[in-house]
Amino acid sequence: MRSAVILPAIALIFGLISSSLFIVDERQKALVLQFGQVKQVVDKPGLGFKIPFIQEVIRYEDRILGLPTRPLEVTPLDDRRLVVDAFARWRIVDLEVFRRAVGAGGEAAARVNLDQIINAEIRTVLGSVPSRNVLSEDRTMLMNQIRDNARVKALALGVDVIDVRLTRTDLPKQNLDATFARMRAERQREATDEIARGNEAAQGVRAAADRTVIEVTSEARRDAEVIRGEADAERNAIYAQAFGQDPEFFTFTRSLTSYERALQGGNSSIVMQPDSAFFDYLNNPNGRSTAPAAQ
Amino acid sequence: MAGNGGPWGGNGSGGDQDPRGNNGNRPPPRRPNEGAPMPEIDELMKRGQEQLRVLMGGRGGGNGAGGAGGGDGGPLLTKSGLVFAGLAAVALWGFMSFYTVKPEESSVELFLGEFSGVGVEGLNFAPWPLVSAEIVQTTRQRGTIIGSGANGEMDNGLMLTRDQNIVDIQFEVVWNINDPAKYLFNLADPEDTIRAVSESAMRDIIARSELAPILNRDRGVIAADLQEAVQGTLDSYNSGISVIRVNFDRADPPSEVIDAFREVQAAQQERDRLEKEADAYANRVTAGARGQAAQLREEAEGYRAQVVNNAEGEASRFLAVYAEYIKAPEVTRERMYLETMERVLGGMNKVILDGVASGEGGQGVVPFLPLNELGGMAKGAAATTTEGSN
Repeated sequence: MRSAVILPAIALIFGLISSSLFIVDERQKALVLQFGQVKQVVDKPGLGFKIPFIQEVIRYEDRILGLPTRPLEVTPLDDRRLVVDAFARWRIVDLEVFRRAVGAGGEAAARVNLDQIINAEIRTVLGSVPSRNVLSEDRTMLMNQIRDNARVKALALGVDVIDVRLTRTDLPKQNLDATFARMRAERQREATDEIARGNEAAQGVRAAADRTVIEVTSEARRDAEVIRGEADAERNAIYAQAFGQDPEFFTFTRSLTSYERALQGGNSSIVMQPDSAFFDYLNNPNGRSTAPAAQ
Repeated sequence: MAGNGGPWGGNGSGGDQDPRGNNGNRPPPRRPNEGAPMPEIDELMKRGQEQLRVLMGGRGGGNGAGGAGGGDGGPLLTKSGLVFAGLAAVALWGFMSFYTVKPEESSVELFLGEFSGVGVEGLNFAPWPLVSAEIVQTTRQRGTIIGSGANGEMDNGLMLTRDQNIVDIQFEVVWNINDPAKYLFNLADPEDTIRAVSESAMRDIIARSELAPILNRDRGVIAADLQEAVQGTLDSYNSGISVIRVNFDRADPPSEVIDAFREVQAAQQERDRLEKEADAYANRVTAGARGQAAQLREEAEGYRAQVVNNAEGEASRFLAVYAEYIKAPEVTRERMYLETMERVLGGMNKVILDGVASGEGGQGVVPFLPLNELGGMAKGAAATTTEGSN
């Protein structure tokens, strides 16, 4: 019979203790509310106490949370549109402010608010510079600026914006085809240029080669003519030196040689008179009156 | 099923907490380990329930199915039941409190939710419920691939470069965990964080570079820069993540324009070909020209030799003849003339016309001469180019 009393009593005590103790994990923070009033803010992990039944514990994430933003079209100063998306890393720092700012919706509600803050800052910051700055070393600076601005505003939510990073900064889809076409045109320009340069070089090389050919052969021709001229001169000198000793005899012998060369071959005919010198003795054994004189 | 009839009470020695031992008493399912495992579990559960009842209510349902005779063996059964329950609880507590850590893992222990230490490889003890442990795969390398299109349409890897070109990038970040506590406590979604940070860092780098170096020579630099940037950002989050390396898989022009890039390559080859062909032509024709030049010069030299030699030969022949001639000019002259005429006239057709006939023969003989045989000489026949005059 005693146990019938003791056991429920133990169970009751156990229940009371367990409902008045709570453990806050390293990854969490907790808020203790009493009828909606904030009674305790627990931002250290460990064991906590509360009054059973009238106080409730609401836990919040204490780790860094991610928030990807939706792609968003911004218009930088030079009116070239860019599609931008970013992600933020944030963390709940001040539970009380956080709760008051976002209400019972908690994290999800905070994300909506943060998203708006960050989108607005992206538009503001990227809208104030030309698009070429977004695609340059300034990008990091711009990201930091967005982060700093968003951080100030997010403090009102009890949230620390640790980081905002741009992921995509792309051209809108409609511009993609134009960009691809431009890239193709650039490549084609390069290809045409390559071939043209190849032709240019080839033509130059060929022309130079042709010129070399003409130079070399003409020089050779010149040299050859010089040599021939020298040869002819030398021949003339030799002849002159030799034949000059007796021009009359040269004429005589040379004529004989010419007759022999010109009239040979058996295809020549000649009509002769018997009174030519050759026939001096043909009719007269004493020769002609002139002949003895000649002899 | 046979076990129903003889529950633990029948044993007498309720201290045996090993269910296997209990089973051993029953003849029918003799070691039916593989034959019928279900009954064992079934039976075990029933026993557990009864023990619970004993524990709670004080009077065990006892032997048999009915709750009859509560007072009979109550105290005895309750006592042994408590012992059994106590041992079971200790075993359960031990089971809950000991855990093992594998080589690639680490464990993080939380004392009442607060970080208290890191467990080492092997068997670890975390007294439940005060301490809880979480096991993290620390040293195992994990890869996060970005730009493969595996993560939806947005993950297409197309990135805008500084010179407003588009490049198709795919890379993998390989990482592990160097601080399991930080890893667990600082990031709500580590994998997503790594993905987002890596993509952002890569886009940042690409947005600062021009297209051409990205495609070839800067790849190594980009991978190194990326690793540094990702590690720096993750460190700023206190993430406990260590980036081991970056595998830069792909940096290509987008498929829409890759043909144009290939055309450029083809054009470069074509340029090379044109230049080589021109070189070949040049080599061929200049060599030909040099050959021709050499030929011309050699011919000229040959001509010189020929002409000079001929002249010298002729001259010396003339001089030799002249040397003899000068000794007896008249005789020699006549002899040379006659010898030459002999050779000359010996080989030709000769027509000898007497001077009288010839004087009036214009009408007499000449018309009958076979002019077609005499050829062009017919006309001069009357004049008779008598060589003798020379």
